[in-house]
Amino acid sequence: MEPVTVGLIGTALMVLLAMIGVRIAYAAALVGTVGLVILTGDVASGLTAAGTVPYAKSVNYTLSVLPMFVLIGYLAYHAGMTTTSFEAAKRWLGWLPGGMAVATIVAVAAFSAVSGASTAAAAVFARVAIPEMLKVGYHRRLAAGVVAAGSTLDSLIPPSALLVIYAIIVEQSVGKLLLAGFVPGIISAIVYSAIVVMRCRMNPELGPPIRGYSWRQRFESLPGTAPIWIVIGLIFTAMLFGWATPTEAGALGAFSTLLFAWRNRMTGQEFKSALLDTARLTVMIFTIVWGVLIFVRFLGFARLPDAISAWVSGLDVSPLVVLLLIYLIYFVLGMFMDAIGMMLLTLPIVYPIVTDLGYDPIWFGIIVVKLCGIGLLTPPVGLCAFVVNGVRPDIPVGEVFRGIVPFVVADLVTLAILTAWPELVTFIVD
Amino acid sequence: TVQGPKVSWKIGAWGKPRAVTEGIELLARHVKERTGGNFTITIGYGTLGGEKELLDILSRGALEMTMICSSYHPDKQPAYTVLDLPFLPLPDPATQWRVHDAIHKHPFIVKEFEKWNASLYVSSLLPQYEFVGRSSPPPRKLADWKGLRVRAIGGIGEAMRNLGAVPTSVPASEVYTLMERGTVDAVSFPSTYAHQSNKTHEIGKWYTANLSPGTQACPALINRDHWAKLPDQYKALFDEAKPKIFEALAAAYKKADDTNIPLFRRRLEFVTYSEADLAEFRKAGAQPVWDAWVKERAAQGIPAKELLDLILKTAASGGKS
Amino acid sequence: MAGHGAAADDKKPPRDAHPLLRADWHWGRLEGALNLIAAVSIFAIMVLGVLQIASRVGSAGARELWPEFPPIAIHGYIDWIEFVAVLYALLGIAYCQRLGGHIRMEIVLASIRGRARWLLELLGIALALAITLLLVHATFENFLRAWINGDSSMDIRLPQWPSKLVVPVALAVLAVRLALQLWGYARLVLWPTALPMAVPLVVTADEAARQEIAETEMRERRG
Ligand code: NA
Ligand code: NA
Repeated sequence: MEPVTVGLIGTALMVLLAMIGVRIAYAAALVGTVGLVILTGDVASGLTAAGTVPYAKSVNYTLSVLPMFVLIGYLAYHAGMTTTSFEAAKRWLGWLPGGMAVATIVAVAAFSAVSGASTAAAAVFARVAIPEMLKVGYHRRLAAGVVAAGSTLDSLIPPSALLVIYAIIVEQSVGKLLLAGFVPGIISAIVYSAIVVMRCRMNPELGPPIRGYSWRQRFESLPGTAPIWIVIGLIFTAMLFGWATPTEAGALGAFSTLLFAWRNRMTGQEFKSALLDTARLTVMIFTIVWGVLIFVRFLGFARLPDAISAWVSGLDVSPLVVLLLIYLIYFVLGMFMDAIGMMLLTLPIVYPIVTDLGYDPIWFGIIVVKLCGIGLLTPPVGLCAFVVNGVRPDIPVGEVFRGIVPFVVADLVTLAILTAWPELVTFIVD
Repeated sequence: TVQGPKVSWKIGAWGKPRAVTEGIELLARHVKERTGGNFTITIGYGTLGGEKELLDILSRGALEMTMICSSYHPDKQPAYTVLDLPFLPLPDPATQWRVHDAIHKHPFIVKEFEKWNASLYVSSLLPQYEFVGRSSPPPRKLADWKGLRVRAIGGIGEAMRNLGAVPTSVPASEVYTLMERGTVDAVSFPSTYAHQSNKTHEIGKWYTANLSPGTQACPALINRDHWAKLPDQYKALFDEAKPKIFEALAAAYKKADDTNIPLFRRRLEFVTYSEADLAEFRKAGAQPVWDAWVKERAAQGIPAKELLDLILKTAASGGKS
Repeated sequence: MAGHGAAADDKKPPRDAHPLLRADWHWGRLEGALNLIAAVSIFAIMVLGVLQIASRVGSAGARELWPEFPPIAIHGYIDWIEFVAVLYALLGIAYCQRLGGHIRMEIVLASIRGRARWLLELLGIALALAITLLLVHATFENFLRAWINGDSSMDIRLPQWPSKLVVPVALAVLAVRLALQLWGYARLVLWPTALPMAVPLVVTADEAARQEIAETEMRERRG
């Protein structure tokens, strides 16, 4: 049998196992290892090619930034960084049509800069922001939709575990990618806000403005948000000005958040459980990383990436068409798949194609993470929508998905903007 | 053409196709042409294993061939790291080729790679790891290196420490940002290509044109079992390709220099050291590292002095050995 | 798709409890201890990182005042981090499995109940156990090569065998955990209505979401 055929069969088998609920890391590692044994024609050879992966792919300085980011996220709760940011955003922006929804977006964006996981952002803001929006007469669909959509900003705005994993797979600078995510994150937030304001201006029932905060009250809300800005400032200046590698900047961010959490009376027991949760989430990420990379090595031995690249470059279509086709593939995969697994599986094949077409590696990373964010929102498996529905069981998950629709449209607009003007992504790193 | 059965081999490599990989690229083209496509060699850039795992993967036969850099895992082949010592007198590709070849044939080295079920095929002739730096003024004398934070790996780092510099660990991907901000003052990379692709020339102020602080040995290896099974007429092609590989590598580095050196000249001050300066560098920086290496490795039962002397003798022989 | 789950019970089972329950608890203690080591390694990375920045910025600052001040850097910083990395990357793997924490797609599973569901779970665990055992063997060989032939880090030449040995050890602990879960699911296949033991609670996507929320709420209350 041709290696490429073995590769294709293996891919189909791996998808099947994943679909019936075998944990992704095991399904990928198993198919990959067996496939390597078949392709090398020798048990010892195949096992060695697979067996070096868990060590080699975990023991990597660049990846050590991940536990730091996860730790910051866990400590940010204890530092009380969520409620203060929403309160301030509400007082400053509530007067806009749909102003509370805009405030939610701004507050999530700020929280995103200290947190690395979109589901965490969705859970927190569903509790903090939805009740307040419903209280002043917002439509529940808008309230739920804006929280779910806003939470995906967390993967784009650094720190972001997804951007780090992209950087590792394609061997680009983690620091550059993290910096590059910032502006597209802001653009996404602006486009989200614009959609909210437009819809609420046309239909004020949806989200009436709230007024009555004095300037004094507005300014009074600011000091409480200081910790979040200080931590963001530390991480950014450390990376932007090159004082630190991403891991070191992450360590500094975690350390400063820890100090704020202490000041906020976090107990020793709480700190211990934050560390233990960080360890659990970290090992989960690393397991899927090396598991899928065993499978990817099998694809390499099967020469599948080469075969697909050759096939695509033989197509007689413009680069833009290929690019849009790739967007479509990610959109469809994102409906069903987990973001990390999706990137690990697809990038070894897609990345060389995209860069061969002349697109910028950093820019494409932002695009992929944006597409992963959309995947967190789309049915049937839209994790952020599930989380919102979980906090507010009174808002059925179907309602949440309907509330998300305008924001997915907004995301497509953002994608179009970033595709038309890639320099919006790259200027900060060049 | 050479007649024979259909054989397909794989070579592990990493990064992108570049000057260093021109040797294996040429080998792949050569065997394919000479056998009318019956013997093919596919090169996997990172797809067949990472740079630190390839020797392990080769040893159990999953790969027929691989490239390695011994400095990535010094103690996997401790005797061979003699070629990674700083400030070895390897001024040009021809000398380096001759020296590497002599080491590759030394019985102790051959045995060392037998542990990994591997035999050495050819060197990849990495150029000297010159520095691009940003400090001001440039280090024109030995004393100027004192206190500079330098990114230099392995033995070169040790030598620079002896000169009073401070070696700092920085991953290559973050070098640009960290140097821009002065977190590191100078960075050593193999070849002008590596400097150019990490953009150090865009933020640096000077370039050490002839410091020659040392280089790395990154040979191509062959799995011994697969080699034994290869038809004799195919084996002959490997010997046939050797001189062509040398020429291809030398030409590839020259081409990289021809584009990059003028580029560097426009942006960087070229720091050139006199023979006397270089002798001083070797004495203060390198000699202690050499001595320590010989002492440590001899204690492990390695004919360390003999290997180092072989290098010095072969380098001095000027091709007449 | 969910990275969540829950262990059945965390109270120490009495002496006369089902042997599976007791084995689950005792092995869980070991897994918890390993995860604690992983947590400590993360704390260590944080401290090392802050020290690295402090020494760099501090010595640069000192040089402004006194040019002769030597720059300080942690010798072999990257090598040390990589030496420690294997602890947080692998040591907690069985702990995470006990809690059902490794990612999977639950669309199909969530729509099945009763014996069919337990069969599917059993199959998943059996495959997981198979690959884990293969990898225990393969990663142990990877350690043996480093032990016999030698291997060291790039910069300060730390020996690599200790961290390579952690991999098969962590995977062996996982193998035992998977064997316990295999037993747990086999019971349920035989007696689908029995009380689940030594398996993660059934967690569907929205249950996972609810759990994420519960965790958050707990923190919010404390915070
Ligand atoms: Na974030
Ligand atoms: Na989805």
